[in-house]
Amino acid sequence: MEQYIFYILASIILVFSYLTVTSRMILRAAVYLLFVLIATSGIYFMLNYNFLAAVQLTVYAGGIAVLIVFSVLLTSQLNEKMEKVTPVKMLSGGLIAFAGAILTISTITQYEFVANGLAELDPSPKAIGYAMLSYEHNGYVLPFEVISVLLLAAMVGAIVIAKRPAKLLNEDATEVDMSFPTSKDAYKSRTKEEIDSLLK
Amino acid sequence: MSIMNLNSFIYMRHELVLVAVILLFLLAEIVVGSKNKNFTVNFAAGLFLLATAIGFLPIPYGEMFGGMYQTSEVNILMKNVLNVGVLIVFLQSIAWLKKDENEGRITEFFLLIVSTLVGMDYMISAGDFLMFYLGLELATIPMAALAAYQVYSIKSAEAGIKLLLLAALSSGIMLYGVSMLYGANESLYFADLIQNLSNNPLNILGLIFVFSGLAFKISIVPFHFWTADVYEGAPMNVTSYMSVISKASAAFVLMTLLFTVFKQLSQEWTYALYITSVLTMTMGNLFALRQKNIKRYLAFSSIAQAGFIFLGIIAGSQMGMSTVIYFLAIYIFSNLAVFGVAGAIFNQTGKESIDDYNGLYKTNPALALTMTFGLFSLAGIPPVAGFFGKFFLFTAAMESGFLWLTVIAVVNTIISLYYYLLIIKAMYIIPNDQPIEKFSSDFYMKAGLILATVGILSIGFFGGIHNYIFDISFGILN
Repeated sequence: MEQYIFYILASIILVFSYLTVTSRMILRAAVYLLFVLIATSGIYFMLNYNFLAAVQLTVYAGGIAVLIVFSVLLTSQLNEKMEKVTPVKMLSGGLIAFAGAILTISTITQYEFVANGLAELDPSPKAIGYAMLSYEHNGYVLPFEVISVLLLAAMVGAIVIAKRPAKLLNEDATEVDMSFPTSKDAYKSRTKEEIDSLLK
Repeated sequence: MSIMNLNSFIYMRHELVLVAVILLFLLAEIVVGSKNKNFTVNFAAGLFLLATAIGFLPIPYGEMFGGMYQTSEVNILMKNVLNVGVLIVFLQSIAWLKKDENEGRITEFFLLIVSTLVGMDYMISAGDFLMFYLGLELATIPMAALAAYQVYSIKSAEAGIKLLLLAALSSGIMLYGVSMLYGANESLYFADLIQNLSNNPLNILGLIFVFSGLAFKISIVPFHFWTADVYEGAPMNVTSYMSVISKASAAFVLMTLLFTVFKQLSQEWTYALYITSVLTMTMGNLFALRQKNIKRYLAFSSIAQAGFIFLGIIAGSQMGMSTVIYFLAIYIFSNLAVFGVAGAIFNQTGKESIDDYNGLYKTNPALALTMTFGLFSLAGIPPVAGFFGKFFLFTAAMESGFLWLTVIAVVNTIISLYYYLLIIKAMYIIPNDQPIEKFSSDFYMKAGLILATVGILSIGFFGGIHNYIFDISFGILN
């Protein structure tokens, strides 16, 4: 029984991953990604990692996917289709991916996995909480704290990118279109003179 | 396993001081505001100078958090070298930051750079793959924001998104490799891996994937495709930071990983290093020959330099490790001198084409001279430090029996000599009706350039430096 569930989940992940990267409508790609994330949490449930599965559902499927959809809605034009991939690109990319997959699969199947003698890990939230705040061997308080530095830096970075230059805000900012170009013909670099005139 | 108490936090002083610096930057931004430019830059440079000085205080080293974090004398040395490099980058950036286009976003620049530096420090001191990966990400994600710093320029935005997407891809590959190592050895701690890692297919594939992830950071051929575009699009100072500090830290970490965790697989990684080293030196040099833009030119020159670094790693000996660190320190100073001059000229005139350097010596002899020292050092011409760096690298590779690799490297050095001298020829010999006008840089830029030049000239002549590095280095542990 468990095997069937695994294969069902795995095929959901495979199919929707493929659709995510091949879909030319960006919102659809985001929705396909949502199914991938949900199916992944199903695998965690199968492994009895209930806490991790719940986190996967709430944070990734619930939070991140919604965030992606929102940013898609805010930044791009929904009706626009992404560029069609040329056959050459598709063929070369497909070949490389195929070769990589063959190499990895053949290597993994060559290796004989043996069950280790270690005691089974306790996947309860309590044990995870202790491990998260422990500073002993197999404790994770240091990475836990370092991630907060990473989040701070990422937030500052996002603000830097999103914030318009102050000079433009002070003056008549409405007349100057500083938003990132969304349509294809807007993709041309501004010349030095244009930038200077914007900044004046 | 040592018992941890509050006193052992002193092992982590580099990272803790830098995190404190980040918080003080934020606090200063709130209290003083972003209007007072002079205060902001002086405060940032002064604070970082203090942090650098604290790094040099002699204190004990050891491990913390059950082996997840570890320092040794050689780790601390590398962190100090990086700190000095970042200090020079800061000094060279101030003129650019004070320009109108950066109004209201000066502190952010310092903050993002320091946070990537924290990431590099954690990566250097990592005792397991989780911390290593976190450090790598912390060193990469804010870097994308830095590359996209000139929000009005499409090229800069393109550089940011390219860096972010390709870094995500390479992290994904690396994590997959780490998961293989975990699957085969049941632990992510370096200490466990050193003992258990055996020569089986899963471990080898893990090694290749982890190697690829780091090779992306060092921009080794064939993982270098992002380099020229990102370097060209990013602001000059960010490019200089990426090509110098980020690359040096990743090269150092790759070396320590190969020498410790993967030492059982040394036969396998020797092949990988041999091939990539030859490819990197040759491709980097050949592409550098035909560049017209100074940033793209320096991008390919830095790719070629990374190939030379591999000569020391492949040697696998104590000598190899010490020369790599020595070479990295010299490379930091030389590249910062060249980038500093290019940045000063770009700030003043907005010119970044190699043809613009024609006749620079007539109008700005001091800048031309600094650039000459930097280029001589990168090329490896005797009086300056770069010669000793390359000489020791070749010696280390020869001692370990890599004759042909050394021959290829020497041939590549000669090719590189040609294109490094092209710029020198442009500055001194080629006449120009409209050379870049005479201008004077601000105090910080001058200080930054002088520091870099002093580094280039002094490292080669104090034999004690190399001896000290040699004493604290180690080869493949047996």
